[in-house]
Amino acid sequence: MGNTTDNEVMLRLTQIHKRFGDLEVLKGIDLELRKGEVMAIIGTSGSGKSTLLRCINRLEEIDAGRIEIKGRVLAQNNSDNVAEYVTDKEARDILSCTGMVFQQFNLFPHMTVLENLLEAPIQVQKRKREDVIPEAEILLKKVGLLEKKDWYPSRLSGGQQQRVAIARALCMKPDIMLFDEPTSALDPELTGEVLRTMRELAEERMTMIVVTHEMNFAHEAANHVVFVEKGVIVEQGTPQMVMDNPQEERTKAFLKNML
Amino acid sequence: MDNLLHTVVLMLEGTQVTLQIFFVTLVLSLPLGLMAALGRISDFRILSRFMEFYIWLMRGTPLMLQLLFVYFALPMVGIMLPDIVAALLAFTLNYAAYFAEIFRAGIQSIDRGQYEAAKTLGMTHKQTMSRIIIPQMIRYVLPPVSNETINLVKDTSLIYILAMNDLLRVARTIVQREFDMTPFIVAAVFYLIMTAVLTWGFKKLEAYYGKYDR
Repeated sequence: MGNTTDNEVMLRLTQIHKRFGDLEVLKGIDLELRKGEVMAIIGTSGSGKSTLLRCINRLEEIDAGRIEIKGRVLAQNNSDNVAEYVTDKEARDILSCTGMVFQQFNLFPHMTVLENLLEAPIQVQKRKREDVIPEAEILLKKVGLLEKKDWYPSRLSGGQQQRVAIARALCMKPDIMLFDEPTSALDPELTGEVLRTMRELAEERMTMIVVTHEMNFAHEAANHVVFVEKGVIVEQGTPQMVMDNPQEERTKAFLKNML
Repeated sequence: MDNLLHTVVLMLEGTQVTLQIFFVTLVLSLPLGLMAALGRISDFRILSRFMEFYIWLMRGTPLMLQLLFVYFALPMVGIMLPDIVAALLAFTLNYAAYFAEIFRAGIQSIDRGQYEAAKTLGMTHKQTMSRIIIPQMIRYVLPPVSNETINLVKDTSLIYILAMNDLLRVARTIVQREFDMTPFIVAAVFYLIMTAVLTWGFKKLEAYYGKYDR
Protein backbone atom coordinates (compact mmCIF):
# COMPACT_ATOMS: atom_id res chain seq x y z
CA MET A 1 0.00 0.00 0.00
CA GLY A 2 2.95 2.26 0.76
CA ASN A 3 3.97 2.80 -2.85
CA THR A 4 0.44 3.54 -4.03
CA THR A 5 0.59 6.96 -5.59
CA ASP A 6 -3.16 7.28 -5.96
CA ASN A 7 -4.87 7.00 -2.60
CA GLU A 8 -8.43 7.04 -3.91
CA VAL A 9 -10.69 4.82 -1.83
CA MET A 10 -12.37 2.37 -4.20
CA LEU A 11 -14.45 0.54 -1.66
CA ARG A 12 -15.47 1.24 1.89
CA LEU A 13 -17.41 -1.21 4.04
CA THR A 14 -18.71 -0.03 7.38
CA GLN A 15 -20.09 -2.31 10.12
CA ILE A 16 -21.39 -4.98 7.72
CA HIS A 17 -23.74 -7.47 9.29
CA LYS A 18 -25.16 -10.45 7.45
CA ARG A 19 -27.13 -13.39 8.73
CA PHE A 20 -28.51 -16.54 7.13
CA GLY A 21 -31.50 -17.36 9.28
CA ASP A 22 -30.24 -17.75 12.84
CA LEU A 23 -26.61 -17.84 11.82
CA GLU A 24 -24.78 -14.52 11.84
CA VAL A 25 -22.00 -14.93 9.27
CA LEU A 26 -20.67 -11.35 9.22
CA LYS A 27 -20.50 -9.58 12.56
CA GLY A 28 -19.58 -6.00 11.88
CA ILE A 29 -16.93 -5.88 9.15
CA ASP A 30 -15.03 -2.67 8.39
CA LEU A 31 -12.84 -2.64 5.33
CA GLU A 32 -11.24 -0.17 3.00
CA LEU A 33 -9.75 -0.83 -0.41
CA ARG A 34 -7.60 1.71 -2.20
CA LYS A 35 -6.83 2.06 -5.86
CA GLY A 36 -4.19 -0.36 -7.12
CA GLU A 37 -4.36 -2.41 -3.96
CA VAL A 38 -4.35 -6.21 -4.09
CA MET A 39 -6.21 -7.50 -1.08
CA ALA A 40 -6.17 -11.16 -0.13
CA ILE A 41 -8.87 -12.39 2.22
CA ILE A 42 -7.85 -15.58 3.99
CA GLY A 43 -9.54 -17.72 6.57
CA THR A 44 -11.02 -21.15 7.20
CA SER A 45 -14.02 -22.49 5.27
CA GLY A 46 -17.16 -21.08 6.81
CA SER A 47 -15.38 -18.06 8.19
CA GLY A 48 -17.61 -15.78 6.09
CA LYS A 49 -14.93 -14.62 3.67
CA SER A 50 -16.82 -15.64 0.52
CA THR A 51 -20.03 -14.13 1.86
CA LEU A 52 -18.14 -10.91 2.53
CA LEU A 53 -17.00 -10.79 -1.10
CA ARG A 54 -20.50 -11.61 -2.38
CA CYS A 55 -21.97 -8.81 -0.28
CA ILE A 56 -19.81 -6.26 -2.08
CA ASN A 57 -21.52 -6.80 -5.44
CA ARG A 58 -24.92 -7.64 -4.01
CA LEU A 59 -24.95 -11.36 -4.78
CA GLU A 60 -25.90 -11.41 -1.10
CA GLU A 61 -27.71 -8.53 0.57
CA ILE A 62 -26.44 -7.24 3.86
CA ASP A 63 -28.75 -6.85 6.86
CA ALA A 64 -27.02 -3.84 8.32
CA GLY A 65 -24.08 -1.59 7.51
CA ARG A 66 -22.91 0.62 4.71
CA ILE A 67 -21.33 -0.16 1.35
CA GLU A 68 -19.68 2.59 -0.62
CA ILE A 69 -18.08 1.98 -4.00
CA LYS A 70 -15.99 4.75 -5.58
CA GLY A 71 -17.71 7.27 -3.37
CA ARG A 72 -21.23 6.15 -4.23
CA VAL A 73 -23.45 4.55 -1.62
CA LEU A 74 -24.87 1.16 -2.59
CA ALA A 75 -26.54 0.45 0.75
CA GLN A 76 -26.74 2.13 4.13
CA ASN A 77 -28.68 1.86 7.34
CA ASN A 78 -32.04 3.54 7.73
CA SER A 79 -33.23 4.94 11.04
CA ASP A 80 -34.01 1.40 12.28
CA ASN A 81 -30.41 0.29 11.61
CA VAL A 82 -31.51 -1.93 8.74
CA ALA A 83 -29.56 -1.68 5.50
CA GLU A 84 -31.45 -0.23 2.58
CA TYR A 85 -30.29 -0.48 -1.00
CA VAL A 86 -30.53 2.10 -3.74
CA THR A 87 -32.81 1.28 -6.71
CA ASP A 88 -31.91 -1.72 -8.88
CA LYS A 89 -31.01 0.55 -11.76
CA GLU A 90 -28.70 2.69 -9.68
CA ALA A 91 -27.17 -0.39 -8.05
CA ARG A 92 -26.37 -1.80 -11.50
CA ASP A 93 -24.74 1.47 -12.41
CA ILE A 94 -22.65 1.62 -9.21
CA LEU A 95 -21.62 -2.02 -9.58
CA SER A 96 -20.69 -1.64 -13.24
CA CYS A 97 -17.15 -0.81 -12.11
CA THR A 98 -16.79 -4.26 -10.52
CA GLY A 99 -16.04 -7.59 -12.16
CA MET A 100 -16.21 -11.02 -10.62
CA VAL A 101 -14.53 -14.39 -11.09
CA PHE A 102 -16.20 -17.41 -9.53
CA GLN A 103 -14.93 -20.64 -8.08
CA GLN A 104 -17.05 -22.59 -10.60
CA PHE A 105 -16.10 -20.32 -13.57
CA ASN A 106 -19.76 -19.92 -14.63
CA LEU A 107 -18.98 -19.42 -18.29
CA PHE A 108 -22.00 -19.41 -20.58
CA PRO A 109 -21.87 -22.95 -22.01
CA HIS A 110 -24.01 -22.17 -25.07
CA MET A 111 -21.60 -19.51 -26.30
CA THR A 112 -18.10 -19.82 -27.70
CA VAL A 113 -15.17 -18.36 -25.78
CA LEU A 114 -15.24 -15.17 -27.86
CA GLU A 115 -19.02 -14.81 -27.52
CA ASN A 116 -18.66 -15.16 -23.75
CA LEU A 117 -16.44 -12.07 -23.81
CA LEU A 118 -18.58 -10.09 -26.24
CA GLU A 119 -21.95 -10.72 -24.59
CA ALA A 120 -21.95 -8.13 -21.81
CA PRO A 121 -20.13 -5.28 -23.63
CA ILE A 122 -22.65 -5.60 -26.48
CA GLN A 123 -25.81 -6.25 -24.46
CA VAL A 124 -25.12 -4.13 -21.39
CA GLN A 125 -22.80 -1.37 -22.59
CA LYS A 126 -24.51 -1.31 -26.02
CA ARG A 127 -21.17 -1.24 -27.76
CA LYS A 128 -20.67 -2.23 -31.40
CA ARG A 129 -19.61 -5.82 -31.98
CA GLU A 130 -16.80 -4.82 -34.36
CA ASP A 131 -15.42 -2.43 -31.71
CA VAL A 132 -15.40 -5.04 -28.97
CA ILE A 133 -13.92 -7.93 -30.97
CA PRO A 134 -10.35 -6.51 -31.16
CA GLU A 135 -10.38 -5.75 -27.41
CA ALA A 136 -11.69 -9.22 -26.62
CA GLU A 137 -9.00 -10.78 -28.78
CA ILE A 138 -6.29 -8.79 -27.02
CA LEU A 139 -7.59 -10.05 -23.66
CA LEU A 140 -7.73 -13.64 -24.91
CA LYS A 141 -4.19 -13.31 -26.17
CA LYS A 142 -3.16 -11.97 -22.79
CA VAL A 143 -4.57 -15.02 -21.00
CA GLY A 144 -3.04 -17.23 -23.69
CA LEU A 145 -6.25 -18.54 -25.21
CA LEU A 146 -6.70 -16.63 -28.46
CA GLU A 147 -6.43 -19.81 -30.52
CA LYS A 148 -9.39 -21.24 -28.57
CA LYS A 149 -11.71 -18.33 -29.25
CA ASP A 150 -14.20 -20.35 -31.31
CA TRP A 151 -14.33 -23.27 -28.89
CA TYR A 152 -17.18 -23.99 -26.54
CA PRO A 153 -16.23 -23.86 -22.83
CA SER A 154 -16.96 -27.57 -22.25
CA ARG A 155 -13.96 -28.47 -24.43
CA LEU A 156 -11.56 -26.45 -22.27
CA SER A 157 -9.76 -27.54 -19.11
CA GLY A 158 -10.75 -25.97 -15.80
CA GLY A 159 -7.71 -23.71 -15.81
CA GLN A 160 -8.47 -22.55 -19.33
CA GLN A 161 -12.11 -21.92 -18.44
CA GLN A 162 -11.08 -19.84 -15.47
CA ARG A 163 -8.72 -17.76 -17.60
CA VAL A 164 -11.57 -17.15 -20.05
CA ALA A 165 -13.75 -16.12 -17.10
CA ILE A 166 -11.09 -13.60 -16.04
CA ALA A 167 -10.92 -12.24 -19.59
CA ARG A 168 -14.72 -12.06 -19.73
CA ALA A 169 -14.81 -9.94 -16.57
CA LEU A 170 -11.97 -7.72 -17.83
CA CYS A 171 -13.77 -7.12 -21.13
CA MET A 172 -16.20 -4.89 -19.19
CA LYS A 173 -13.23 -2.72 -18.14
CA PRO A 174 -13.88 -2.93 -14.40
CA ASP A 175 -11.99 -0.85 -11.84
CA ILE A 176 -12.27 -3.49 -9.13
CA MET A 177 -11.92 -7.24 -9.68
CA LEU A 178 -13.40 -9.66 -7.18
CA PHE A 179 -12.09 -13.23 -7.11
CA ASP A 180 -14.05 -15.82 -5.16
CA GLU A 181 -11.68 -18.75 -4.53
CA PRO A 182 -10.70 -18.80 -8.21
CA THR A 183 -8.46 -21.87 -7.96
CA SER A 184 -10.41 -23.98 -5.46
CA ALA A 185 -12.26 -26.00 -8.11
CA LEU A 186 -9.09 -26.73 -10.08
CA ASP A 187 -6.79 -29.72 -10.12
CA PRO A 188 -3.53 -28.75 -8.41
CA GLU A 189 -1.56 -28.81 -11.66
CA LEU A 190 -3.95 -26.26 -13.19
CA THR A 191 -3.87 -23.62 -10.44
CA GLY A 192 -0.52 -22.23 -11.58
CA GLU A 193 -1.76 -20.90 -14.92
CA VAL A 194 -4.67 -19.08 -13.25
CA LEU A 195 -2.50 -17.64 -10.48
CA ARG A 196 -0.01 -16.49 -13.10
CA THR A 197 -2.76 -14.57 -14.90
CA MET A 198 -3.86 -12.98 -11.63
CA ARG A 199 -0.28 -12.05 -10.76
CA GLU A 200 0.05 -10.29 -14.11
CA LEU A 201 -3.12 -8.35 -13.36
CA ALA A 202 -1.75 -7.38 -9.96
CA GLU A 203 1.46 -6.17 -11.56
CA GLU A 204 -0.61 -3.94 -13.86
CA ARG A 205 -2.00 -2.38 -10.68
CA MET A 206 -5.51 -3.67 -11.10
CA THR A 207 -7.45 -3.14 -7.87
CA MET A 208 -8.37 -6.62 -6.67
CA ILE A 209 -9.87 -8.52 -3.79
CA VAL A 210 -9.03 -12.21 -3.77
CA VAL A 211 -10.65 -14.71 -1.44
CA THR A 212 -8.15 -17.54 -1.48
CA HIS A 213 -6.60 -20.57 0.14
CA GLU A 214 -3.40 -20.03 -1.84
CA MET A 215 -1.07 -18.78 0.88
CA ASN A 216 1.85 -18.31 -1.50
CA PHE A 217 -0.25 -16.14 -3.75
CA ALA A 218 -1.48 -14.07 -0.79
CA HIS A 219 2.07 -13.66 0.44
CA GLU A 220 3.68 -12.72 -2.85
CA ALA A 221 1.02 -11.00 -4.94
CA ALA A 222 -1.08 -9.21 -2.34
CA ASN A 223 -0.07 -6.02 -0.62
CA HIS A 224 -2.78 -6.27 2.00
CA VAL A 225 -3.91 -9.42 3.76
CA VAL A 226 -7.09 -9.74 5.78
CA PHE A 227 -7.61 -12.71 8.07
CA VAL A 228 -11.27 -13.43 8.76
CA GLU A 229 -12.64 -15.87 11.30
CA LYS A 230 -16.19 -16.44 12.50
CA GLY A 231 -17.45 -13.35 10.75
CA VAL A 232 -14.96 -10.85 12.14
CA ILE A 233 -11.65 -9.49 10.90
CA VAL A 234 -9.07 -10.85 13.30
CA GLU A 235 -6.03 -9.21 11.82
CA GLN A 236 -5.06 -7.26 8.73
CA GLY A 237 -2.03 -5.55 7.26
CA THR A 238 0.84 -6.23 4.88
CA PRO A 239 1.60 -9.92 4.13
CA GLN A 240 4.79 -9.50 6.14
CA MET A 241 2.83 -8.32 9.16
CA VAL A 242 -0.06 -10.76 9.04
CA MET A 243 1.61 -13.85 7.61
CA ASP A 244 5.22 -13.65 8.78
CA ASN A 245 4.66 -12.02 12.10
CA PRO A 246 1.05 -12.52 13.20
CA GLN A 247 0.05 -10.96 16.49
CA GLU A 248 -3.17 -12.85 17.18
CA GLU A 249 -3.25 -16.42 18.44
CA ARG A 250 -6.06 -17.33 16.01
CA THR A 251 -4.04 -16.10 13.05
CA LYS A 252 -1.03 -18.10 14.20
CA ALA A 253 -3.15 -21.24 14.58
CA PHE A 254 -4.67 -20.81 11.13
CA LEU A 255 -1.34 -20.24 9.40
CA LYS A 256 0.17 -23.23 11.15
CA ASN A 257 -2.65 -25.42 9.84
CA MET A 258 -2.20 -24.15 6.30
CA LEU A 259 1.47 -25.19 6.13
CA MET B 1 -56.71 -49.85 -57.31
CA ASP B 2 -58.74 -46.83 -58.40
CA ASN B 3 -60.69 -47.22 -55.22
CA LEU B 4 -57.57 -47.07 -53.05
CA LEU B 5 -56.32 -44.01 -54.94
CA HIS B 6 -59.66 -42.30 -54.35
CA THR B 7 -59.47 -43.18 -50.63
CA VAL B 8 -55.97 -41.78 -50.38
CA VAL B 9 -56.99 -38.53 -52.09
CA LEU B 10 -59.91 -38.08 -49.68
CA MET B 11 -57.67 -38.81 -46.74
CA LEU B 12 -55.04 -36.34 -47.91
CA GLU B 13 -57.73 -33.70 -47.64
CA GLY B 14 -58.42 -34.86 -44.09
CA THR B 15 -54.71 -34.72 -43.38
CA GLN B 16 -54.74 -31.06 -44.33
CA VAL B 17 -57.23 -30.33 -41.55
CA THR B 18 -55.15 -32.38 -39.11
CA LEU B 19 -51.95 -30.56 -40.06
CA GLN B 20 -53.66 -27.19 -39.86
CA ILE B 21 -54.79 -27.83 -36.28
CA PHE B 22 -51.38 -29.25 -35.45
CA PHE B 23 -49.27 -26.38 -36.75
CA VAL B 24 -51.43 -23.54 -35.52
CA THR B 25 -51.68 -25.11 -32.05
CA LEU B 26 -47.93 -25.63 -31.90
CA VAL B 27 -47.07 -22.12 -33.07
CA LEU B 28 -49.45 -20.57 -30.53
CA SER B 29 -48.96 -22.85 -27.53
CA LEU B 30 -45.16 -22.83 -27.44
CA PRO B 31 -44.76 -19.06 -26.83
CA LEU B 32 -47.87 -19.04 -24.65
CA GLY B 33 -46.43 -21.91 -22.62
CA LEU B 34 -43.15 -20.04 -22.19
CA MET B 35 -45.00 -16.95 -20.96
CA ALA B 36 -47.07 -19.09 -18.60
CA ALA B 37 -43.88 -20.70 -17.26
CA LEU B 38 -42.28 -17.29 -16.66
CA GLY B 39 -45.47 -16.17 -14.94
CA ARG B 40 -45.53 -19.33 -12.86
CA ILE B 41 -42.01 -18.73 -11.51
CA SER B 42 -42.43 -14.97 -11.20
CA ASP B 43 -42.07 -13.25 -7.83
CA PHE B 44 -45.36 -11.50 -8.55
CA ARG B 45 -47.57 -13.71 -6.41
CA ILE B 46 -50.95 -13.09 -7.98
CA LEU B 47 -49.60 -13.90 -11.44
CA SER B 48 -47.81 -16.98 -10.16
CA ARG B 49 -50.94 -18.24 -8.39
CA PHE B 50 -53.10 -17.59 -11.42
CA MET B 51 -50.74 -19.58 -13.65
CA GLU B 52 -50.67 -22.39 -11.14
CA PHE B 53 -54.47 -22.50 -11.24
CA TYR B 54 -54.58 -22.37 -15.03
CA ILE B 55 -52.06 -25.20 -15.37
CA TRP B 56 -53.91 -27.28 -12.80
CA LEU B 57 -57.23 -26.73 -14.58
CA MET B 58 -55.89 -27.62 -18.01
CA ARG B 59 -53.92 -30.65 -16.92
CA GLY B 60 -56.57 -31.81 -14.50
CA THR B 61 -59.45 -32.16 -16.96
CA PRO B 62 -59.69 -34.22 -20.17
CA LEU B 63 -58.86 -32.44 -23.39
CA MET B 64 -62.08 -33.94 -24.77
CA LEU B 65 -64.08 -32.17 -22.06
CA GLN B 66 -62.31 -28.90 -22.81
CA LEU B 67 -63.14 -29.25 -26.51
CA LEU B 68 -66.79 -29.96 -25.75
CA PHE B 69 -66.92 -27.04 -23.35
CA VAL B 70 -65.55 -24.54 -25.85
CA TYR B 71 -67.74 -25.93 -28.61
CA PHE B 72 -71.05 -26.38 -26.82
CA ALA B 73 -70.98 -24.39 -23.59
CA LEU B 74 -69.53 -21.09 -24.80
CA PRO B 75 -72.33 -20.54 -27.38
CA MET B 76 -74.85 -20.86 -24.53
CA VAL B 77 -73.39 -17.75 -22.93
CA GLY B 78 -73.39 -15.97 -26.25
CA ILE B 79 -69.83 -16.64 -27.40
CA MET B 80 -70.06 -18.05 -30.91
CA LEU B 81 -66.81 -19.20 -32.44
CA PRO B 82 -66.25 -20.75 -35.86
CA ASP B 83 -65.58 -24.52 -35.53
CA ILE B 84 -61.91 -24.33 -36.32
CA VAL B 85 -61.33 -21.41 -33.94
CA ALA B 86 -63.11 -23.24 -31.13
CA ALA B 87 -60.94 -26.31 -31.68
CA LEU B 88 -57.74 -24.23 -31.85
CA LEU B 89 -58.66 -22.38 -28.66
CA ALA B 90 -59.09 -25.58 -26.68
CA PHE B 91 -55.97 -27.23 -28.09
CA THR B 92 -53.81 -24.15 -27.57
CA LEU B 93 -54.89 -23.57 -23.97
CA ASN B 94 -54.39 -27.23 -23.16
CA TYR B 95 -51.00 -27.65 -24.76
CA ALA B 96 -49.70 -24.33 -23.45
CA ALA B 97 -50.28 -25.65 -19.92
CA TYR B 98 -48.24 -28.79 -20.58
CA PHE B 99 -45.48 -26.80 -22.29
CA ALA B 100 -45.48 -24.37 -19.36
CA GLU B 101 -44.61 -27.13 -16.92
CA ILE B 102 -41.90 -28.47 -19.23
CA PHE B 103 -40.38 -24.99 -19.61
CA ARG B 104 -40.59 -24.31 -15.88
CA ALA B 105 -38.66 -27.49 -15.12
CA GLY B 106 -36.13 -26.55 -17.81
CA ILE B 107 -35.60 -23.04 -16.46
CA GLN B 108 -35.25 -24.29 -12.90
CA SER B 109 -32.62 -26.83 -13.93
CA ILE B 110 -30.20 -24.08 -14.98
CA ASP B 111 -27.41 -23.56 -12.45
CA ARG B 112 -27.67 -20.53 -10.15
CA GLY B 113 -24.13 -19.57 -11.14
CA GLN B 114 -25.40 -18.61 -14.58
CA TYR B 115 -27.71 -15.98 -13.06
CA GLU B 116 -24.88 -14.75 -10.83
CA ALA B 117 -22.42 -14.48 -13.70
CA ALA B 118 -24.96 -12.52 -15.75
CA LYS B 119 -25.71 -10.27 -12.79
CA THR B 120 -22.06 -9.47 -12.11
CA LEU B 121 -21.71 -8.56 -15.80
CA GLY B 122 -24.48 -6.00 -15.34
CA MET B 123 -27.21 -7.81 -17.23
CA THR B 124 -30.83 -7.07 -16.35
CA HIS B 125 -33.22 -9.86 -15.41
CA LYS B 126 -34.80 -9.67 -18.85
CA GLN B 127 -31.44 -9.90 -20.61
CA THR B 128 -30.42 -12.78 -18.37
CA MET B 129 -33.55 -14.74 -19.21
CA SER B 130 -33.55 -14.07 -22.94
CA ARG B 131 -29.82 -14.35 -23.61
CA ILE B 132 -28.55 -16.80 -20.99
CA ILE B 133 -31.25 -18.90 -19.36
CA ILE B 134 -33.83 -19.59 -22.08
CA PRO B 135 -31.28 -20.51 -24.79
CA GLN B 136 -29.77 -23.06 -22.39
CA MET B 137 -33.21 -24.27 -21.35
CA ILE B 138 -34.14 -25.14 -24.94
CA ARG B 139 -31.81 -28.10 -25.17
CA TYR B 140 -33.00 -29.55 -21.87
CA VAL B 141 -36.66 -29.32 -22.86
CA LEU B 142 -36.33 -30.66 -26.40
CA PRO B 143 -36.95 -34.34 -25.49
CA PRO B 144 -40.14 -33.66 -23.47
CA VAL B 145 -41.33 -31.06 -26.00
CA SER B 146 -40.79 -33.64 -28.74
CA ASN B 147 -42.92 -36.06 -26.76
CA GLU B 148 -45.76 -33.59 -26.35
CA THR B 149 -45.57 -32.58 -29.99
CA ILE B 150 -46.01 -36.19 -31.10
CA ASN B 151 -48.95 -36.46 -28.71
CA LEU B 152 -50.47 -33.41 -30.33
CA VAL B 153 -50.42 -35.04 -33.77
CA LYS B 154 -52.51 -37.88 -32.38
CA ASP B 155 -54.70 -35.69 -30.16
CA THR B 156 -55.86 -33.72 -33.20
CA SER B 157 -58.07 -36.74 -33.95
CA LEU B 158 -60.28 -35.70 -31.02
CA ILE B 159 -61.85 -33.00 -33.19
CA TYR B 160 -63.95 -35.69 -34.86
CA ILE B 161 -66.50 -34.96 -32.11
CA LEU B 162 -66.76 -31.41 -33.44
CA ALA B 163 -67.77 -32.79 -36.84
CA MET B 164 -64.62 -31.55 -38.53
CA ASN B 165 -63.25 -33.68 -41.35
CA ASP B 166 -59.80 -34.51 -40.10
CA LEU B 167 -57.80 -37.55 -41.16
CA LEU B 168 -59.42 -40.00 -38.74
CA ARG B 169 -62.97 -38.87 -39.37
CA VAL B 170 -62.53 -39.14 -43.13
CA ALA B 171 -61.17 -42.65 -42.66
CA ARG B 172 -64.07 -43.64 -40.44
CA THR B 173 -66.63 -42.26 -42.89
CA ILE B 174 -65.20 -44.34 -45.73
CA VAL B 175 -65.00 -47.44 -43.57
CA GLN B 176 -68.64 -47.13 -42.55
CA ARG B 177 -69.78 -46.45 -46.12
CA GLU B 178 -67.84 -49.19 -47.88
CA PHE B 179 -67.30 -51.85 -45.21
CA ASP B 180 -63.58 -51.82 -46.00
CA MET B 181 -60.93 -51.57 -43.32
CA THR B 182 -58.19 -50.27 -45.63
CA PRO B 183 -58.75 -46.56 -44.73
CA PHE B 184 -57.86 -47.31 -41.10
CA ILE B 185 -54.57 -48.80 -42.22
CA VAL B 186 -53.95 -45.86 -44.54
CA ALA B 187 -54.71 -43.48 -41.65
CA ALA B 188 -52.26 -45.32 -39.41
CA VAL B 189 -49.59 -45.01 -42.09
CA PHE B 190 -50.31 -41.27 -42.43
CA TYR B 191 -49.97 -40.72 -38.67
CA LEU B 192 -46.78 -42.75 -38.62
CA ILE B 193 -45.31 -40.67 -41.45
CA MET B 194 -46.14 -37.44 -39.60
CA THR B 195 -44.63 -38.62 -36.33
CA ALA B 196 -41.58 -40.00 -38.14
CA VAL B 197 -40.94 -36.60 -39.71
CA LEU B 198 -41.28 -34.97 -36.27
CA THR B 199 -39.00 -37.49 -34.61
CA TRP B 200 -36.39 -36.85 -37.29
CA GLY B 201 -36.79 -33.07 -36.95
CA PHE B 202 -36.37 -33.13 -33.17
CA LYS B 203 -33.33 -35.36 -33.49
CA LYS B 204 -31.76 -32.71 -35.72
CA LEU B 205 -32.70 -29.96 -33.25
CA GLU B 206 -31.22 -31.90 -30.35
CA ALA B 207 -28.00 -32.40 -32.28
CA TYR B 208 -27.88 -28.69 -33.05
CA TYR B 209 -28.47 -27.57 -29.49
CA GLY B 210 -26.15 -30.23 -28.12
CA LYS B 211 -23.23 -29.00 -30.17
CA TYR B 212 -21.68 -27.05 -27.32
CA ASP B 213 -21.40 -30.14 -25.18
CA ARG B 214 -18.93 -31.87 -27.42
